[in-house]
Parts: sequence; C-alpha cells; structure tokens
Amino acid sequence: MTNQIIVEIRNLRKNYGPKQVLQGIDLEITSGQIIGYIGPNGAGKSTTVKILCGLITDFYGDITIFGKDLRKDTLEIKRQVGYIPENAVLYESLTPLEFMEFVGEMRGLGTEQTRDKAEKLMNIFEMKQNLNQRIATFSKGMRQKVLICSALLHNPDLIFMDEPLSGLDANSVIMVKEMLIHLAHDGKTIFYSSHLMDVVEKISDRIILIDQGKVIADGSFDELNKLSNDENLEKMFTRLTGNTDHGEKAEAFINAFEK
Amino acid sequence: MINLILKLFIPFRWFIEKMGADYDQFIRILKLKLTLDDRRANKYSKKSKNAQEKTLIKQSFFQIFMGVFFAMFLIMIKTPFTFFYIAHTFLMAMMAMMIISEFSTILFDTSENVIIQPLPIKGNTISLARNAHVFIYLAMMAFCLSVVTIIIAIYKFGSLSGLIFVFTIFLNVLFTLFFANILYLGIMRLVSGERLKNLLMYFQIAIAIFFMAAYQIGLRMVDKTAIQEMVLPVHWFTYLLPPAFFSGLIEALTTLNFDQSHLLFIAEALVVPPVAIYFTGKYLTPVFNRKLMELEQGDRVTKIKIETAHKSLWYRMLSSLFVHTTEEKAAFKMMWKMTGRERQFKQTLLPTFGYVIIMMILPNVGKHGSFSDFTSGYKYLFILYVFMMVSFALCSALLIGNNQSSAWVFKSMPLKSPASFFKGAINAAFARYFIPFYLAVGTVVCFLWGIKVMPDVFIAFLSVYLITSLLYYFQQPGFPFSLEKTAVQGGSNAMKVFALMALAGVVGFVHYLLLRWFDFANLILIPLYCSAIYYVNGIMVYRKITWKEVDRVNDYS
Repeated sequence: MTNQIIVEIRNLRKNYGPKQVLQGIDLEITSGQIIGYIGPNGAGKSTTVKILCGLITDFYGDITIFGKDLRKDTLEIKRQVGYIPENAVLYESLTPLEFMEFVGEMRGLGTEQTRDKAEKLMNIFEMKQNLNQRIATFSKGMRQKVLICSALLHNPDLIFMDEPLSGLDANSVIMVKEMLIHLAHDGKTIFYSSHLMDVVEKISDRIILIDQGKVIADGSFDELNKLSNDENLEKMFTRLTGNTDHGEKAEAFINAFEK
Repeated sequence: MINLILKLFIPFRWFIEKMGADYDQFIRILKLKLTLDDRRANKYSKKSKNAQEKTLIKQSFFQIFMGVFFAMFLIMIKTPFTFFYIAHTFLMAMMAMMIISEFSTILFDTSENVIIQPLPIKGNTISLARNAHVFIYLAMMAFCLSVVTIIIAIYKFGSLSGLIFVFTIFLNVLFTLFFANILYLGIMRLVSGERLKNLLMYFQIAIAIFFMAAYQIGLRMVDKTAIQEMVLPVHWFTYLLPPAFFSGLIEALTTLNFDQSHLLFIAEALVVPPVAIYFTGKYLTPVFNRKLMELEQGDRVTKIKIETAHKSLWYRMLSSLFVHTTEEKAAFKMMWKMTGRERQFKQTLLPTFGYVIIMMILPNVGKHGSFSDFTSGYKYLFILYVFMMVSFALCSALLIGNNQSSAWVFKSMPLKSPASFFKGAINAAFARYFIPFYLAVGTVVCFLWGIKVMPDVFIAFLSVYLITSLLYYFQQPGFPFSLEKTAVQGGSNAMKVFALMALAGVVGFVHYLLLRWFDFANLILIPLYCSAIYYVNGIMVYRKITWKEVDRVNDYS
C-alpha cells in the first residue's frame, strides 16, 4: 500500500479570463503522506485543490487520481475523496447532525451509520453537546470542526484541505495536527494548503511551494533545507517567493502613516 | 445614472443636515448601496453583463403596464378631486405592498453594519441613507405606475394639474415611507429579538393578504355607472386622509379655489410629509437603529435551542410517496427541515396561501342565487385550480436565501446528476406545504359537492403537481436558498405569475370542457397526467438538470 502513486498531475493549467492562474504544474503524490501545499496569496493554491476535488472542471492538462482520469471517472474519485473548504460556509439553519446526515446519505451511507460516525467524530472535537444546535449559533472554529467531521464521514483515502486550521484555537490546531498524523499512519493521504509555516514545517512529509502558478520548491523540509540552509520554512518561503525586503516595506508602511 | 440620482439630493442638503446627518457621508453611503445593487445581478448570471439593467427596464415596463389598467379605471372619473384622490390611494397601497414584500429586507438589513459601524458615522446618517435608498426605488416605482395617469390628468384637467400631480407623488412617497417607519417601530416596541423577526414575517404575510383582499373587494364593489358620477363627499375625517391632502392641493391650485377647506388641504399636503419625514429622520430612526442592533445581538444569544429529530408518521408517509432513491430521500429530508426553518422562504411562500384563500372565496360571495345552485355546477374546479398560484411561489421561494456559498457541498459529492437533489428539494417543499393545505380544501370541496367530485380533486392535484415540477425544473437551476433577494426583482416575477395564471385557466378549462362533454373524462385525464408526471420526474428532469446547466448558475468557491 505504501509508496503507491495515487495522484498524478501533468502540466495542469488554468485560466481565469486572460489571467493564467496555474501555469503548468506537474506533481506525483504517493499514499500515506502529508503534503503541505504553500505559496503566497493568489499563487493558485485553492484553485489546485478545487480542481483536484472536482469543483472546478474546466482546466487544461491531465490529472489521474487512484489511477483514474479525473475528467472521466469524477464520481469514482469523489467517492474516495474528502474535501474541507476554506471558508466555513454551511447551511445555517441545519444542525451539524442534520448536515452530516445529509452529506452521508448523499454519499450512500446509511442513516444509522452516518449518525454513529458523526457522533464519534464530533465527540473527538468535544462538540457532542452541540450536535443538535443550529449551525447559525456556532463560532468560526466550531464550523470548521463540523466541516472537518463531515469530510471524514465516508472514511476517504485521500483528503484535500484548504486552510484547515484557519479559525481554530490553539488546542484544536494541535488536535487537528495529531489527527492528520494519525490519518497518514493509517495509509491515508492528506493534501493541504496552509499559511501557517510552522505547522507545515512540523507535520508535512513533503512540502510543495508554488508561486505564480508554478512549483518552485518540492521535497521534505530537510531535503529543501539541505539545498539552501534557511533556518526555517518561513525564511525559505520569503526568500523563494521574492520578498526579501520586508524591512524596507515595513518602513515604507510606517512612513505612510506620518504623512 | 447613479450620479444623476445622487445629484437630485443636492437641493435637500440643508434638510438632510437638519435631521442630524452628515450630508457627504450620507451621499457616499447611498452611492455605495446603489453601486452594490447595480452590480449584484451580474454575480449570478455570468452571461449577461447588463442583466440588472434589463430587469430594471422589465420591471419598469410592467409597472407602466399596470398603470395603464389603473388609468383605464380612472379615465371615467369626472371630478378632479375624486380622480386624484383615488390615484393617490392606489399609489399608497401599491407602495405599502412594495415596502412590505420587497423593501423590508433592505430596511432591516444589518449586513453592512460590520463595515459601516466601525467608521466614524452617526447612526442617523446610516439609517437616513437606508431610508433614502428605499425612497429612490419607491419613487421610481411610483412614477412608473403613474406615467399614464399623469398623461390622462394633463389631458383631462390641464398641464398645470399634471405638474402638480407629479409634485404630490413625491410628497406621497415621503409620507408612505414615514408611515412604514412608524408601523415597523410600533411592532418593534412590542417584542424583541428572534420573536420579532418571526412576528415581522407573519405581519408581512398578513398585510400582503389584507391588501390582496382589499383590492379584490374594491374591484367588486364598483360598477361603471357609479364610477362616472362618483364624487367623494368631504367629511370631517377626510381632512385626516393623506390622499385627500394631495388631491385637495391639486384641485385648489388648478381651480384657484382657496376657500377654507382647500387651504386646509394645501397646508396639510405641504406641511405633513416634510414634517413627518423630519420627525422620522430626527427621532424615529435612532430608536429604529437601536432596536435593530438589539435584534442583531438578540439573535446570537437567544437562538440556541435543541432541534429534535423529526420522524413523524406523516413525514415518513410523504417521503415514501414522493421520493424513492436514497439520494432523493436524503435531499427530501434535508429540505423538509430547511423549508420549515428558512425565514425568507416562508416569507415568500406563505402569503400565497392567503391569496389562494381569497381567490377561492371572494368570487363566490355576494352573488345572488341559492346554495344548491352553487354546489350543483362546476365552480369547484375554479377553486381547485387556483392552487396553481402556489406552484410559482414554491419554485421562486426555493431559490431565495442566504446560502450563497454552500453549493460546494453538492459539487464535492459523488453525484452522477444533480437532478436527484433538485427532485428531492421540490418534492419536500411541495409535500410539506402544499399537501396539507390541498387536503383540507379538497375535503371541504368533497363535502360540499359530494363524493362524486373526488376524481376531479385528484386530477387537479395531479395537474398542479405536474406544473410545479415543470416550473421548478425549467427555472434557473440554482441550489436551494442560494439567491439573494435584491431590490430590483419584483416586476418580471409578476409577469410570470400572469402567464402561469393563464396556463392554470387553460388547464382548468380543458378539464371543465371534457367533463361537460362526456362522463368518463376522468378515465382519460388521470392516466394522462400520471404518465406526464412520470415522464417529467423520471426522464425529463435528468436531461434538463445536468451538471453543465447547474455549474453555469452556481458558484462553488
């Protein structure tokens, strides 16, 4: 099961009008890994994730997941994939249990099975008592937890996460981190985009850095570090994405106030 | 266009400032709101860039069109006072309906507070801008509705009275807006928080039904000869009726009659609206704002309640009757719950049931003839086919809501076709709201006309179900509750309602004709409708609602 290539991306390109967001991305992802997908704002992280989950269907290039063509066997692939979106947008007038029941049943799980799983997952996040309250009353972190739980209901082999840690408190961040590591141990593959460099540095087996629609660094942190000798991922990030003049910029910022 | 509208406020700068608002900020907020309205429509219909403009034009056309109907009624009235009195009453009623059905969401919109409130802007400025926003749309509507009336007034009573009429329309809009503010504040005084929102919803529904009833009754009470000779007597209380102020003013200025009663009207017309709006701006809106804020906060605190699983026998029966696959069942279950909770959905749908009741009862009351005459004919068909009104309301209500960005859920799931979800959705809404109501009316009909009409009750049901399904599958396939209700929408909807009512008439009439011709019509109609329903729900829906179509309308980011 290990070291099997489960995602293969060949020359992935995507345009929004004249703007080319992804300019030819090539990636191979093996199972059981945690992959941190990082890059500056607007680099194309979310777009990649959305394409991989089948949310965006008009792209150029070839993507194979579990050995199947994403364009042809979208449904087969979606069955084994979990997706956690960036912005916690849910049906506010439903309760988490109702929402998850819906997601589970639409995915073909039985009602009882879904409910069972939902309760277990929510219990891990200490939200069992919130199961029957409307989502409208939840904080951002609670919503994020509901999203995580509903993406894991069907026991997916491959999980895509778009900023899964945004809005979570420190405890929950640690817990999600642990959860990701556990899932990877079980042979699941996790592909997540994030801005939190220290988290990415600590838990990722592999880091992919993209900028302006292209992969500019790819490898484990140690591998990457050997090449460049940066202290940490944050430093490497800023060096590679070309913003080394932070000091000057900060000064300019302060000057803007003085006028 | 926006700049032109904003320029019209310049002469009233002193007045706006007098009410305690900062004029420059006021204009900026207004500009922001209008710009937002201008761009909102484009978000959904990606194809046409000027969709918003088109709907605005469509709506204006519809209002002018309605104005023609009204003017045809007015053209027979001889005395100017009565003429303008009725014109103003009509305008006020239309505006009140508009405020209730379309603009209350704008008046209660607190979404921009997050952005605007942290800025150093006085509450007064914000709420005045909000009122001005509504005012702009109301004024536009009022003028569209009265274009034809103005022309007739010029023709009948001279251009001077036409001009003054235009001026009084403006005053009328101001006054109606003030009235709406008072009304809403009154309700807000009584209750607060979550209960207020619910109460407002039911209040709006009640008002909408009331106006519909009043309109229907009004139409029935007049007959032509009476209209021609109609002269409104001036009683003491006439001086308290706002439409009378305005028509008194017009009459006085055109006939140069300045006797005591006319002077009183003039004074009222010129003083009451500005004073009312000043009072609104200065004293009411701060209270309104404070109440609105409580509303916001109350929402967060009081709403935590436990939802219990809903699995009654009734639900299970309907669910197994309407949906069959697991996907459809899941959608049905979810939508059953959501249709019971989404406020905007109920707000759009429930008044229609009121209309239906009025439409059923009114044409049959006050007519001469015995009860047995009534129940021996085919009148029940009319009663049953009136339900077609609900079809349209169901379909459009399902689109409107605040869940713009929840569509990703569907796209990330392994659904071969989104059709099963849409099927579950419309069936849940239909089953939850339509069935109980229809059952009740159907029972009454069976009781009055005898058990022999039962097949007809069933046929009418089938045809309404068929039309509802067709309508839903043919409207733009937005996911439920994902379309924002915008200020500019009403008109084109009303057009569709007219078309649908015509269709209901045709379907009902065919049913009637077949019944008259031979006794076994039912034996033809029932299988016919059943197979049509089978085709629409089993085959057509999968062809019509494909991912390609759905992707075009919905946004997954």
